[in-house]
Amino acid sequence: MTNTITVELSRYLPETDKAPWYEKFEVPYNDDTSVLEVLHYIKDYLDPSLSYRWSCRMAICGSCGFLINGEPMLGCKTFIRDYSDTASIKIEPLPNFPVERDLVVSMDDFVEKLATVKPYLIREEEQPVDEGEYLQTPAQVDKYKQFSQCINCGLCYAACPQFGRNPEFLGPAALSLAFRYNQDSRDQGKKQRMEFLNAEEGVWSCTFVGYCSEVCPKNVDPAAAINQGKLASNIDYGLNLLGLAGKKQ
Amino acid sequence: MKNYQRSNEPVAWSLFGAGGMVLALVTPALVIVTALILPFLPNADPGHSYRVILSFAQNWLGKLILLAVISLHFYHTAHRLYHGLHDLHIHGPDKVMKSIFYGGATLLSLLTAYWLFTL
Amino acid sequence: MNRNPYLQKQPANWWVKNPYYRFYMLREGTAIPLFLYSLLLLYGVYALTQGESAFNQWIALLRSPGMIIFQLITFLAAVFHAYTWFELVPKILVLRIGNHRVPDVLIKVSHWGACIFCTVMILVSAIYFL
Repeated sequence: MTNTITVELSRYLPETDKAPWYEKFEVPYNDDTSVLEVLHYIKDYLDPSLSYRWSCRMAICGSCGFLINGEPMLGCKTFIRDYSDTASIKIEPLPNFPVERDLVVSMDDFVEKLATVKPYLIREEEQPVDEGEYLQTPAQVDKYKQFSQCINCGLCYAACPQFGRNPEFLGPAALSLAFRYNQDSRDQGKKQRMEFLNAEEGVWSCTFVGYCSEVCPKNVDPAAAINQGKLASNIDYGLNLLGLAGKKQ
Repeated sequence: MKNYQRSNEPVAWSLFGAGGMVLALVTPALVIVTALILPFLPNADPGHSYRVILSFAQNWLGKLILLAVISLHFYHTAHRLYHGLHDLHIHGPDKVMKSIFYGGATLLSLLTAYWLFTL
Repeated sequence: MNRNPYLQKQPANWWVKNPYYRFYMLREGTAIPLFLYSLLLLYGVYALTQGESAFNQWIALLRSPGMIIFQLITFLAAVFHAYTWFELVPKILVLRIGNHRVPDVLIKVSHWGACIFCTVMILVSAIYFL
């Protein structure tokens, strides 16, 4: 006897709808069915018009972020067996992003913010090739490694109420990325990135709700990165008052 | 390219942080003192508590401690209340709101200092 | 292109349904009783400047049932604040000794230790002197 679960799906068709509406489906599942597979089932057998993003189905591409029973999660990493005691499972697009269609949200602003924080190694002078690679000790790698694990899924932006209220906020992923490069011993671009961190739209919009770190599927802990960034920004503010922060680049 | 301005939030945040640390370490005990010890500790001489606390507050170190503790309480709670209103979607012109909360905390701190100074 | 993106605006009650958000609002909400308590302390300082009988009236106010209940709420708020504060400190205070990072639990335990130390010192002094 197969188990079935009621799925309440958010639908939105931009050509005809003014606002999202919900559609219910009965979907069979077993011990290893994921939310992503539920969506595949609905699209394959019940309603081919459903739109949603997915790719790797193993929590590394960051494509399949949805709001599942009110929590931002990856569809491929969320299993129906954990919801078997609930009457239904509600699947909605990630909040705080514009909805393009059904479960597909616009990630344009997110991508733009990642680019804003200069997420690449900045050197005053490149080391000549014949000097070999830049070397790092395990301790030096440890300073930034956690923050480099981001898969750009956007769950943290969906989780962040400060971003929800103020879309100008650079947000958890972008700020963690900036911090990741500031902490990298090979990088010499900290001054350039401090300009973003020091702004109201930078670290100072964060009130340490911490939900971003809670939902992150890769344990990047963006809340820690941003708040360590606050400390760095605070020190930079003090140095600036003393005229020691260096010129704006 | 958007123009990013340096925020002055670090000033508020430093006071908030210092206040939060003081609050976490000292306030639970302080509440026990004001809720249980001061009002209910049996003491034959009713003026005893007054004289002890007065001599503490008349000492310059005592003044400093009282001022730091009370003032940081004000700055910490003002910062949280100001941001809390934002979270509740209660809006007002930013300069006005900042003046009410941080200005208020400053006024209350100055008042504390003034009264301690007169002791 | 038939783009017509639907803009999801954050409602004012965004925090009500999600337990994580409710916890955050409760944490921030501790500021309300703690602010009022600061005013109570300020009033105590004022009473101190007005002489012995004014100060004793302040102590009598502390003894009133309303104030006892309020101070109970304040105590719970202060302890909850301390608990959430010490959970967050290791996220910001990253200490490295040589090649190793000081473990979070050690930072938390040291802060709780400091809190207990301060509490004991304050209570012992208060009982001894007052």
